[in-house]
Amino acid sequence: MIEAALLIFGGAVMLFGALGILRFPDVYTRLHAATKCDTGGAMGIILALVLMMEAPALVKLKFLVLAFLIAMINPMVSHAIARGAYKYGVKPKVVVDMYAWDNP
Amino acid sequence: MAQEGLLVSAFYLLVFTAMLIIYRVVRGPTLPDRIVGLNAITTKVVVIIAVLSVLQQEYYLIDLAIVLLMVNAVGGLILAKYMERRGND
Repeated sequence: MIEAALLIFGGAVMLFGALGILRFPDVYTRLHAATKCDTGGAMGIILALVLMMEAPALVKLKFLVLAFLIAMINPMVSHAIARGAYKYGVKPKVVVDMYAWDNP
Repeated sequence: MAQEGLLVSAFYLLVFTAMLIIYRVVRGPTLPDRIVGLNAITTKVVVIIAVLSVLQQEYYLIDLAIVLLMVNAVGGLILAKYMERRGND
């Protein structure tokens, strides 16, 4: 029961992340939607799989390692992409760009 | 198993969302947008592989998912560094 809820939650979050990537106005907001929703959704689904499966403990451990790696790696890559995008010249569509104050 | 139908539904939902993002990869309009799209698609593919491994009871696939995640991370960092360099020209 709890694994079904986790699976549905994860799937819904990933769907919203995809919609965010399609609808948001600039690369930074899209990056926000992509990273948060994909990371949260992926971890939810993998935890559901761990609860759901009938497998030896080593296999479950591998799934948990995968969830942990997703939690660590996705934010790191998104920070790198945001920094690269800014230096590439893509300016955020905001009223006040506070990042520019510290990084002329 | 009892949840097989649920897993199959999750699989199709994930494939559908990955295909949605293909629009952003193709359309862009900027290089960072394409990188964001590719990164998101790869993450979803990792989860799809995990779901498939449970559905088919072929647990060696999880190793593929972990390696794919690593490659995605390295690729994303390389592209980010590339953008940074291009910006300084």
